[in-house]
Formats: sequence, structure tokens, C-alpha cells
Amino acid sequence: MKKTLQQILLQALFMLVTVASATAQNVITGRVTDAVSGDPLIGAYVIVKTDKEAEGASTDLEGKFTLSTKKEFPLALHIEFVGYRGVDVDVYDNSDAIEIQLQENYRFIDEVVVVGYGQQKKGDLTGAVSSVKLGQMKSITASSFNSALAGSVAGVQVTPTSGAPGGGVSIRVRGSSSVQGGNEPLYVIDGFPVYGETFSQLNPGDIESINILKDASATAIYGSRGANGVVIVTTKNGSFNQKTQVVYDGSIGVQNLRKKIDVLNAREFAQLRNDALYDTNPSLGKYQYLSQSEIDALGEGTDWQDAAFRSARVTSHQLTVSGGGSNVRYSISGSYFDQDGIIRNTGFSRFTTRANLDIKLNNKLRLGLSFNGNKTDTDNAPSGIISSLLLMPPTATIYEADGSYTLRNPFENVFANPIASINERIDKTRRYYVLANAFAEWEIIKNLRLKVAFGANISNSKNKSYVPSYIYDGASSNGSASISSSDAYSWLNENTLTYDLRVKRHHSFNFLLGYTQQVNINESFGAGSNDYVTDDLLYNNLASGSVITTPSSSASKHALISYLGRVNYNFRERYYLSASLRTDGSSRFGSDKKWGVFPSVGASWNVANEKFFKPYTKIVSDLKARISYGVTGNQEIGNYQSLSTLSSSRYLFNEETAIGFRPDRISNAELGWETTHQYDAGIDAGLFGGRLNISLDYYYKKTEDLLLDVAIPWTSGYSSSLQNYGSVSNKGFEFTVSSKNFTGKKFSWDTQFNISFNRNKVLELGGGVDSYITSNMSYAYIVKVGEPLGLFYGAVVDGVLQEGEVETKGKYTGQGTPKPGDLLYKDIDGDGTFVSASDRTIIGKAQPDFLFSLTNNFTYANFDLSIFLHGVVGNELHNGTKQSLELFSGQQNADGTARDRWTETNASNTVPRAKLDPAPVVSNRFIEDGTFVRIKNITLGYTFGKRITSLLGINSLRVYASATNPITWTSYSGFDPEVTSGNNTAQQGYDSGIYPVAKSYNFGVNIKF
Amino acid sequence: MKIYKILNNTAAVLAALAIASCAELEEKPESSMVSQQFYNTEADAVAAVNAVYADLNPSGQSIYNSLFQIGVEMATDDYMAGPRARNAHVRAISSLIHDPSNDRMQELWRQSYALIKDANAAIDHIAEIPATNISEEKRQRTINEAKFLRALNYFNLVRWFGDVPLVLHEISTLDAGHLNVVQATEAEVYAQIEQDLKDAENLPSVYTASDLGRATSGAAKTVLSKVYLTQKKWEQAAQKAKEVIDEGNYRLFDDYADVFSVDKENTVEHIFSIQFKGNANFRGNSLASRSAPYEPEGVNGDYADELNVAGGLFQSYRLEDRRLEVNFITQMVSPVNGKLYVLSEPHFYMYYDHSVVGAQGQSSINLPLIRYAEVLLIYAEALNEIEGPSAVAYDAVDQVRRRAGIPALAEIEPSLSQEAFRDSVFEERRKEFVYQYHRWFDLVRRGADYYIKTLTAAGKPNAAPRHLHFPIPQREIDLNPNLKQNPDWVNY
Repeated sequence: MKKTLQQILLQALFMLVTVASATAQNVITGRVTDAVSGDPLIGAYVIVKTDKEAEGASTDLEGKFTLSTKKEFPLALHIEFVGYRGVDVDVYDNSDAIEIQLQENYRFIDEVVVVGYGQQKKGDLTGAVSSVKLGQMKSITASSFNSALAGSVAGVQVTPTSGAPGGGVSIRVRGSSSVQGGNEPLYVIDGFPVYGETFSQLNPGDIESINILKDASATAIYGSRGANGVVIVTTKNGSFNQKTQVVYDGSIGVQNLRKKIDVLNAREFAQLRNDALYDTNPSLGKYQYLSQSEIDALGEGTDWQDAAFRSARVTSHQLTVSGGGSNVRYSISGSYFDQDGIIRNTGFSRFTTRANLDIKLNNKLRLGLSFNGNKTDTDNAPSGIISSLLLMPPTATIYEADGSYTLRNPFENVFANPIASINERIDKTRRYYVLANAFAEWEIIKNLRLKVAFGANISNSKNKSYVPSYIYDGASSNGSASISSSDAYSWLNENTLTYDLRVKRHHSFNFLLGYTQQVNINESFGAGSNDYVTDDLLYNNLASGSVITTPSSSASKHALISYLGRVNYNFRERYYLSASLRTDGSSRFGSDKKWGVFPSVGASWNVANEKFFKPYTKIVSDLKARISYGVTGNQEIGNYQSLSTLSSSRYLFNEETAIGFRPDRISNAELGWETTHQYDAGIDAGLFGGRLNISLDYYYKKTEDLLLDVAIPWTSGYSSSLQNYGSVSNKGFEFTVSSKNFTGKKFSWDTQFNISFNRNKVLELGGGVDSYITSNMSYAYIVKVGEPLGLFYGAVVDGVLQEGEVETKGKYTGQGTPKPGDLLYKDIDGDGTFVSASDRTIIGKAQPDFLFSLTNNFTYANFDLSIFLHGVVGNELHNGTKQSLELFSGQQNADGTARDRWTETNASNTVPRAKLDPAPVVSNRFIEDGTFVRIKNITLGYTFGKRITSLLGINSLRVYASATNPITWTSYSGFDPEVTSGNNTAQQGYDSGIYPVAKSYNFGVNIKF
Repeated sequence: MKIYKILNNTAAVLAALAIASCAELEEKPESSMVSQQFYNTEADAVAAVNAVYADLNPSGQSIYNSLFQIGVEMATDDYMAGPRARNAHVRAISSLIHDPSNDRMQELWRQSYALIKDANAAIDHIAEIPATNISEEKRQRTINEAKFLRALNYFNLVRWFGDVPLVLHEISTLDAGHLNVVQATEAEVYAQIEQDLKDAENLPSVYTASDLGRATSGAAKTVLSKVYLTQKKWEQAAQKAKEVIDEGNYRLFDDYADVFSVDKENTVEHIFSIQFKGNANFRGNSLASRSAPYEPEGVNGDYADELNVAGGLFQSYRLEDRRLEVNFITQMVSPVNGKLYVLSEPHFYMYYDHSVVGAQGQSSINLPLIRYAEVLLIYAEALNEIEGPSAVAYDAVDQVRRRAGIPALAEIEPSLSQEAFRDSVFEERRKEFVYQYHRWFDLVRRGADYYIKTLTAAGKPNAAPRHLHFPIPQREIDLNPNLKQNPDWVNY
């Protein structure tokens, strides 16, 4: 600043001695830089305040600008740049280029966030909205943006449902509010609402900002789809008056399995099998499978995990061209992403193109287009492959002596050779995806704007699979091919009217009225055939299979029609009020319940703008209190659930198929929305000019009329009926701090921390039911009034039956003929025996106590370093893989714990004996602590100095190295603690052996031309 | 110019709105029917009743495709859970430690009532089809087919569970009054079964080729005779059996092996069979793979259904009994490596389909549920109870024995006591109908003492009087306050 003052003085002096001649045009040049680092600011906007006619100018890649004006000196300039405080500068002549330094603006109230159907300054919000810091996401190797959201903001839990390339995640915003309906948030991509996607088809590099709407004041504008939170994604666009910029981003990396599961080697397995056979038939001796000398000769045997997993490559390239003139701005990008899976023969690749365009036709009319066309290819892993990799005995070999594949597990538990399945089965999915949205905005009169938008989302995916005849999987069908295809099409029309009004200077209003409609249409078909003469044609000639499998097809459609309105009001920028209302009509509900109403109100008080607060603003620069209440809905139940549909079935008369139709469901005209009432109170504070920002939220959500598949007596002919029953609550606390610890020229350090606690409780299940259990052979969950969702249910292990205890404790083994070495279980119902069906209790919970993340960013000279730590604490996981690995039958490989199993000479009290016939019992033995803390990402970057870049003829060059998931602290014994087998709330935290999440190391480069 | 532009813009926007406002909230499922649009024509009537047949063996473990074996027959002296029957519930039934939460038994209940629901829907709705759209003959036939199938299932239910709810109309509202049904007494259930079967006696006695496999008048009469027999209404049982015999529509195959021949399905001896066809977009008979061994390379058997050797069935056959080699196999040549595998125990073999070696899940061999041999044995048993072992009773049993290639009873045991003759008939049933879903009923018909004695002797010491019934599924008791557990099963 001092420099500028000196200049001004000098310039003023100069003016006094020189008679300025009036010229037609004054040309001003200058440079805009960051006040701390001195780096040029690219794209800052400069206008002449005193000349309305003159065009503004943007700074170029060196931060320089040139302006011309017909007005005479002195001139008042105004300079603006996103994230910086705008400044006014008086210019007295144009003899020198002016140097303008901008101060970064840390005040959160000036941050602009995208909300439903508009955008607002953070200071004006009455709702809880979190903005994701994209910086930390950029270097995480993730095929989809939503998988990189883990730890990004408070109150959002992200768990992968598959670690496969392009695999999905399950996201919970402020806990789970639905038991059986969907719990995933609604995504709004450039204004287009999308539900139930993996988003691996979108290029994360295209994203400009992600805002997560959490409380009802923010989400109620999305009505029947707002209950699970809303994730608003905005993609990159150019800026008006911005020079064309070409940016290349590229990275290459390698991914590895985080850890292997400890299973037995060949010698240990052979001993186990000997023990199991001996246990069944002691008369045949202790070496029924292999003799001791044969065992000694075995060695380690086949390591099936080593054979299946690999170091996998990942590459990514993106080229973006963006820029703008005075009436147009644009961004065009293309990207290619190619990721091999850590399981051989799996992978994912993606081509994307995007064009965003914004045109000011005249003062009144603006047109915009956002177009995204992508193609993805996935090589899928065979289903259940993780389980068979672990269970395949190490004594089996991948290949027979003649070089052909070993067909299957040679023992009683028959399953295919997993390596043959991985290598030879072909299962490819190709998807074409278009998301396009166009709008016209017309300012009818001043501040009254009509916006009409049309959009379409087209997704066509085709799956092709072939199982060759020469591996076990395809042996019985003699080659099996199938092709299936699904077409999803959704169109959207949104018409909104907004009006800004200021009354008597201090009252400002913003009105929104809207009418929207969205229709989703899905069609699918599948065909296949078996019994091939040759395996060469794969799925490309279904007619050459002699046995045709039943073809299938289906079609469905659902529609949503909505009316919406919102008023934002503020008085003197101190008191804010906001109210919204949306009315949704959904085809999915019963004829009596088609329409739902979703209101919200919110208020906030900007304390720092009060006069009495002035003395404190030196320390507390911003302070804002928020409170809101609103109603949102959930309609994720699938289509046609209220109708008494019929389904077809087949029987055979005279060896020919006959088609039958039977009733599927009892109709329910009363079927309606799930309704969530949410209360939120929050405080946002900025200290020391925004160097320390704190945000605190408490919320209470109560969801009523749960869409529950209520069990009904089987005597009706049906098992269940979807009804509105019961309620669930979530309450929680979210805390976010961000701090600029150092902002020196050479060294800077900032920290972000967030932590969130959510407590979930089932309040009522309806129909007088207190609890219900969902279970199959592998897992069991209980949903119980007064308890949270996601409770594991099962038996409780109580030691191992020892010699001499058969008479006294044998009845606690659940075995017909108990023997020493059997696991003992607690007799929970107290009837004197253990029965696996009735002696069950709650044995664990899948919901965490809290989640947190901590990010530290450092810059030192040209280096930048970012460390991102994320933790989930207090949840439990059901290790399904271990459960099957602890069946010491000798018919399949076993967990490493088998080394310490009960034998006549090793009276273990924790690990059972080997036996041919173990019954799988879901017990607390397989419930493990799922707590983890992991370094999600470390990135070290270096930005080359001017000397190098000008030598290379480019504008900037940054290189970086990053590690994703390099270090994890956890006691979980499975592949990875970030795991869940599905999106279903009542069944979360079950690790059925999903494709493991990898850790990866990347090297990348960012070049601006 | 400006006004023109504004007008133009407004018009464009309005037009856009008009085009767009075509989203519709009324649901019209594209790929499934809604009940309001169905049950209007003769074709609909046939489809409605076809769906009831389809409930006999839908895909997965279904009543007549293995569930009967897994959930019922395991609790007898002749069968046990094989090495690859991993389900704890199945193993529990096999060793008679099952409880009211046993999922296989729950499935039997659930699937039976699902079939009854579809039968009720067919009976209710076919009656409402306008006369212009359906011939009276077709209307009666389809309704009676549905009644036959409903009776068949209630007959199972009443024998398995005792007093069960008697649901006779489609339940189409969700209120508790309709859902929480009460149990009928066994006598009421039997009365309804008899009524349905009497109606079903009006079914055609034969069908044209394309309808081969549908329920016939003979099928209704045979089941009715068995219903009488089970209730110890000996006279009526004998009379119904005799009607079937006298009508002459059925006779024994000359060779027992033909009972399980794909070429001879639904002919001669077969009165009512559960239809299977592999690799034909339908279903294979999964008993074939469930009983096939896994040791011989290339057979890929499941071996989940095992012969309970201790029961002594295998040894009880005479060596010359033709049924021995049809029903069992003791050694097998691998279809892959040609090696001979001597099996550690005899395996059931009647459903093994040689056209699908290595993929027995696709076996096309029907399950011959009701056949003429049983008519003869019902007749013999009923006559014996009425008048002792008469010559006619002897002849009925001996027709079956002679066909099996073993000496006639009349020749080797011509003067049996009534009790000894009864034992012989039951013994014949056991050998004739092995692995065909009859054993549990036959044991239970003879009472608790006999059942317990037989099972204990067969190495299943847990058998107890309560096992003459299965427990009402716990889930049903939990959901429906009107249901009561079978008294024998309270506290188990």
C-alpha cells in the first residue's frame, strides 16, 4: 500500500507541472497481484466506476490489464476478484502501469454458495449449507466425485459399497432417516436433479463447486426428495471478459491392495483337513487326507490372493479451454480416465466431453447451455470372487499338470477355481451418458426474471457377458452368453420467476416462484443362450448357442410435478427471514396420496452488524445465529408400489410353456410420502478478520410415516405390504473450524477440522410391533424401537466346550451330538439350551459415534503440502468373510485363527475344533470394531517459477505427488474398514467380501498455456 | 420492434410450458398387469389358473421342487441332511431339533398360502367373467382346477400343522380384520378339502394333448380317496379308489423304470405329476442334483439329500426288486475321466437325467406325485381296514409287487393277519414311493408310538410325540394375535 501512496504523491506532483492535454482516449494499464504472495491474479475484473460506457477488463495470465476510457483523469477504478476483497483505486494519470494489490477475503459471509434454484451469500443464509473444499479432493484417485467426499464436510458419511474401479458409495447426510426407502441424498448436477447414481460417469475434474444442503431451510425447496440432504454440483464455466485459457491436467498412478487376509498355507490346511476327517471318523486314523511326510513335502501351496491381486495402473488426462468475452463465456473440456482394478482383468475407463456456455443476447435475455456426453467401459469382477479367492484351498493349484485350469475346489464344498473365473469370464458394461440442460433467462422488468430450463438425462448401458465352457462356471451350461441393456431417460422442465425488491433502503426481499416437472422412463431387456460349439464367438452371436435362455424385458416410468415458492427477506443485513414451500405430486404414491406439501421457515441474525457489537468486531469480525424448521419428504420406494399389480409365471403342459398371471400385491391407495421434520440451530463465527472461522450446528430430525415393508401374515398369500408406518429420529451436532494459521509470503499454513455426531433412534414401528429381524444365513439385523438402525443381531460366544463338559455344557453348543471343541453360546432366552434361532441378542451397531477429518495445507516458497486425515469412530462391522473362513471343515481354506484351534492337545477356549460339518452361526465373534483413522491423502506439489515456465513457453506448471490411503490405523481384520455391502440402512456395515478399497500413489502435472 | 421482441419471447416461453406440461401422475405400469385390467376373458381365466400350477414348483426351493424333501421328509427314518446341506435349519429338521422359527417349515407355510391365494383369486375372479367372454365349460373347468390345487395344498397344511386358517377368498384389503385370520379345526379343513375335491371330480377325465398335465377327475378322486384314508374313513376311501380303478383310465407301467422316463410323462400310470423340463426356460427337478454324488469328476452333484442308511430301507429290498436299481445307485463312472467311483453310500438315482450329465439341476424328470400304484395301495389298505386282508386287497398289493419283479404276497405270505398285512402295505408304499414325498405322511398316519419307535431305530433318538405335526411358524404367531401354537409345540 505504501508504494501506491508514494506513487500517487509523485503522480500528483507530476500533474501539477505538466499541463495535461485532452486526448480522445485514455489508456490505463496495470497489474493485479496477491497482497501476500505477490503472485499475479488471473481473471480479476477491473472497471472504471466513473465511466459507465467503458468496457471492463479482466487480468491476463500475468495479472495485467488494459483499459481505455474517454473520461478524463482522475478516474476511479474498481477491482474485483473472487475470494478477495474488492478495492477502489483513484488514478490520476496513465504514465505508469498501476500496481494493485488485493487482500484475500477470509470472511465467510462473503462466500457465495449455490442453493436450490439460486445462489446466495453465505452471510444471507438461514439454512445449514456446507461447501466442499475442492482442493483436497483434486488429488484423490477417485473415479467419482462423490467417493471423494469422505470427510469433506461435517455431517456427511461416505462409505464405499465396492472398491472396484467405478464402484459406488453410500452417502448419509445427517444419519439415516428411512428404514427401507432410499437414504442417499438427491444430487443436483448443474440444476438437473439426479437420484441413485454411482456418478463414475462424470469427470470429477469438471467440477467447480459442491455445496451440501443439510437442514430443512435449505432442502425443503426440493420437497419430496429433500429428506436425505441435497448435493449441489456446479461444473466449471469460463468468466466474462476472460482471456482464453488452456489447461492440461494429467496424472499417473499405481494402486495396491492395502493388506492381505491371513489364511492357512498348504501344510496348515492339510493338517486341518486331516483333523476334520479324523473328527468324523476316528477309526480311519489321523492322516486320512495326507500323511505327515506328504504334508511336509507340500510347502506353502497356492497363494490365491497373490494370484488374483496386482499393482494396478491408473491414468488421467484432461484438457480444458475456457474464456469469455463481454457477452459470452464458455468452458469446453475433454477427459480420459483409465483405471485398472487391483483384481486382474477388472478395470474402468471413461471418456468425457463437456461444454458450458453462457450468452448475454442483450440486456434482457441470457441463454445458457450445459452439455455433458460421456462413455464408460467397465470390466466387472465375477460376483463372489473375493469369497472364493479366500476359501480356495492352498493345496489346489491354478493349473493342472497338462496346463488346463483346475476346474474347482476339489473338496465337498464345490465352487469354481477363482483364478480361472477372473481370467476367463468376460463381463463388460458399456455406458453412454448424456446430461444436457439449457435455459433462457429473461429480465421482464428490472429485477424480475423468468427462467425456463429444459434438460435431458440419457443413460444407455449395455452389459455383455460370456462364461466359457472350459472353466467350471461354464462347464454345466457348455458356454453361456448373455447381453442385457438398459435405457434410462429423464426429462426436466423448470420454470422459475425471481424478483428482487428493496423497500425503503433497509428492507430487501427476494421472491422465487416456480413450476417444474420431471419424468423418468426406464426400459431394459436381456437375452442369452447356452451350449456353444465354440468359445470363440463370445456374446457376439447368441444364435450360435443351442439353448436359449428366457429373454426378459421391462419398462417403467415415474413423474414428478411440483410448484415451489420462496421468500428471502432481510432488514439492515441484520435480521434474515426465509420461507419456502414446495408442493410435489408424484406418480409413485397411492391415488389418495399423490400430492404432498413441504414448507420451511428459517431465520438468522447477523449479530456482528449490530451497532452494539461494533467494539468487539476487532476480534469477532462476523457472528451469525441461525434457526430453521421445515418438512421434507422421501419418495424413494420404486414405482407402482401402491397398485395391485400382477406378475407372470410359467408352467408346463405337454412339455410346452404355459403362461400364468397372479396377483403380486394388495393395493394401497393410502401409500404416501415419508415425512421428515427437521429443526436446526447453528452459529457461524469469524474471528480476526475471518482468519478463524467456526461453525456449529445442532439438529433434530424426526421422520414419520416411514415407508416400511410391513410384514403381514403369510396366510394372506403375501409376505409384506409397503405401508406408512412408524418413525425414526436423528439428532446430532456438527462442528467445523477453519483457520489461517500463517499467511506469510514465503510460508503459509491453514487447517480445517470438522467433527460430527449423529444419534439415530427408531421411535415407532407401527402395528404394535416392537422389533423385527431381517436375516439370512450369513447375517442378521434387528430393527428395534428405542434403538438405532443397523443393529447386528446374533448369538453370543461363550467359550469352547472342553473335555469332560459334554454332559453339563453340551446343550449350549447347538449341536445334536456335542463334542469337545464345539463353540459354546450363551443361553439368552434362559430355556436351558442354545438354539441359534431363539438365543440371539443385539451384538453390535453399525452406526459410528462420530466422524471427523483434519486437513492441513502448507505452502513454503514454491512447495505446497496437504495432509488430509479422516476417521470414523465407534462403529462395528460384521466381518462376513471371516465368518465363512472360520468354518474349519477342511473342505475349504480357513482363517489364520485355525492355527490356534481346539485340538486334543490344545484346549483353546476361543477357537473351535476342525470338523466336517460346522453349522454357520452368526455370532458376536464376527462383529469387529470398525473404528479407523486414516490418512486419506497426502499431496506434495511444486510450482515452477517464471524462469522455467517462460523458457518452456507456458504460463504455469505445477507437479505433484500424492498418496491416497497410505496409512490406516484400525483393528479391523478384514481387507478395509471403509466398507458396507449395500445401501440398505437396516443392513449397513456388513462386509460380505466386497471388492477391496485400494491404496494408491499418484504423480500429476498441471500446465496452463 | 422491442414490443414485438417481448411478445415473441413471451409466446416462446408459453409454448414451451404448454409442450412441457405432459408429465402425468397416474401410474400405468408398462410391463406388468394391474388386477383391474385382468380377469376378463377365457384366456385370462386359463392364465389365472396356470399361475396356480406354477406355484407348485416356482424357481428356487419350492414346495414340490425339493422343499417337501428338505422341510418334511428329512424328519423321517429314510432321509437325512447330506454333507452339502449346509443350512442349519435343514440339519435341525433332519435331527429333529427344529423349533417354530425353522425357516424351511416357514417356507412350506408361506408357499402353501401363496398358492392358495392364487387359487382363491382365480376362483373368485373367474366366476365374475361375463358369460359372453367365456364358455361355461371352460369357466367350470378352470375353477375346478383351482379348487383341486387348493385342496391339495390344504391337505398338506392340515397334515403338517393341524388346525390352520382356512382362507377361501382373495384378501384384497390391508385391515387387520381381513389379515388376522383364525384357525379352523382339522375337521373343518377336511370338510372343505372334501368339498373342493368333490367339485374337482367334475374335471375332464382326459385332456387333449396340449393340456396334458392338468388336473383330471381321476386326480381329484385319488386325492379324495387319500383324504378319506387319512381320516380313517375306510369305506369312502376304498370306494373312491375303486372308482378310479373301474374307470380304467389308468394302469401300471409294465416297467417301474417308466415311472421316471421323460418319454412317458403324463401317461398310463401318471395321474398327476409335477412338471419339470431342464434347459427349456423352465425348471429342472432339483432332487436330481440334490441326490447326485460329488465325488465322481464331472457329475457335479450337490449331495444334500442323503439316504439315512440306518433306517434300513436299502437293505429291505429284495435283490431282484426292479425298483432297487431304478431308485438307487451305488457306483458311478465319471463322465469326465472314465474312472469308476464306488460310492460310500447308495444315492437316490431315479431323477438322474442322462441327457444333462454334469448339470443335474436341469433334470427333466417329472415328480410323479399321484400315480396308479398309489390308487392300488390305498385300495388295499382301506379294504384291509374294513374287512381284513381279502383276496382283492392282496391282488391290489400284488399288482404293484409283480410289476416290481418280486413274488406276490399271495404266494409267499398268503395268510397274513390284518396287522401284518397293514405293515406289508406300508412297507410296499415305502419302497414304491421312495424319494417322492410320501414317507413322512405314512409314518405319521400310524401314530406317535410308531413314528418314535421307527425313527429311534433309525438313529434319530430325538423324535417325540410333538413331531406328528410341525409347529406353526413363529412369525405368524407374532404377527397374527388370533393364531395359536399347536398345543404340543408350546414352549419349544
